[in-house]
Amino acid sequence: MITRFLTDVRVKFNPFSPLSKPARLFLSLIPSDARANGLTVATQMLPRASKEPPTLGLKFKDGKEMDLKLEHMRITDVMEEVNRHSRQLARQEDLSGN
Amino acid sequence: MPPRIHLRPRALRVGTSSCPASAPIVATYASLATATTPAPPIQQTFRSTPPILRYPPTQPPSHRRPEERKTQLHRQYQSLLKSSPLILLFQHNNIKAVELMAMRRELAIALNQVDAERLKNGQEGQYADQIRLQIIQTGIFASALRVVEFFKPEDSVMDHAQHPTDPSTPTSAQIPQTSNRVDDERFAHGLSRRAWETASSRKFKTELDPLLAGPLAVVAFPAVTPQYLKAVLSILAPSKEFPAPKRKTTPDYYEPAVQVGLQKLMLLGARVEGKVFDSDGTKWVGGIEGGIDGLRAQLVHALQGIGGSLTSTLEGAGRSLWFTMESRRTDMEEKEGGGKKEE
Repeated sequence: MITRFLTDVRVKFNPFSPLSKPARLFLSLIPSDARANGLTVATQMLPRASKEPPTLGLKFKDGKEMDLKLEHMRITDVMEEVNRHSRQLARQEDLSGN
Repeated sequence: MPPRIHLRPRALRVGTSSCPASAPIVATYASLATATTPAPPIQQTFRSTPPILRYPPTQPPSHRRPEERKTQLHRQYQSLLKSSPLILLFQHNNIKAVELMAMRRELAIALNQVDAERLKNGQEGQYADQIRLQIIQTGIFASALRVVEFFKPEDSVMDHAQHPTDPSTPTSAQIPQTSNRVDDERFAHGLSRRAWETASSRKFKTELDPLLAGPLAVVAFPAVTPQYLKAVLSILAPSKEFPAPKRKTTPDYYEPAVQVGLQKLMLLGARVEGKVFDSDGTKWVGGIEGGIDGLRAQLVHALQGIGGSLTSTLEGAGRSLWFTMESRRTDMEEKEGGGKKEE
């Protein structure tokens, strides 16, 4: 997963719900030095009884915001969504020659 | 075509010449043999011989191949789950080795402080060297948890064995009556085929199942001691109830390695004596003052209070009756006394 272009990640999930698996796996896909390179990660754990669906909010370097409803997504779908925009940003960066 | 097998006539000759041809041929008859087998002892004629153990006692046949790391981890996790009543579950997201080391160091320092405090107060049980942050293989841990939760071998394989002190026992060795085949139904250890069959059944669901995904680490405690839990929570998952140690007292804790590592560590839940708690429940367990002794003291206090009020209630009825009767008696006496005066 391309995480270079992410600036902000907000995750909210209930760990006792099976639907929270993609949210937790997304957190495990963030590289270990990403936080040092300016990515802020905010994790909110819901209590066990909560029925609230897991959510993932992302901000990219170009200012685009993405809100993903994770209850019907697998981790591959989430990665696809994030990579789709990240690849565009990567191409723009390549074309501008920086 | 020459024969494939080379005959060596010389070798044959040597072989035949080695035995002396001049030795007289002694006729042997089976009926004339003097060696007789002794009769079996009388014990064996009416009692079966004790069974023989056909495998090393510490290595019963296992369903999984014992030489593999997976198998040994499975066994290790089963023992961890059986021996620790309190287990904290964390998710670790790409923590570097340096950060992990730094966090473990801080944890050990905090636990040693708790140890010293307990030693000073004369409390039993110092567990600092047994509590550590351990990264686990999630799938194997999940499987081991299912074995621990659902595989309860009830029938003992030692039923046939007589007690060693029984005088009719042929041997005092306690030998389970099992063959050395894996598919023997009587094996009761956690790596047996029956354990595997029970644990792989889809009917059973554990409460912890949704938590067992992704990269996990555990902190296992050999006893439910809120004191240690408090120390671990304040180091690894600081919150309002369990604040992190102050910068003045422990400046090491505020090193970048520790702080960056802590950002990547999330407390998911806990398993306390077979029950599953979320992070709030874990904090509640950690907040019990004085641990199990504190709870006992509270209970004793409550029961004493009940006892006191109960005795006063029961006494109250008798006392009021006594007061009534006494007042009636004095009243009667007064009346009697008054009547006499009137007469």
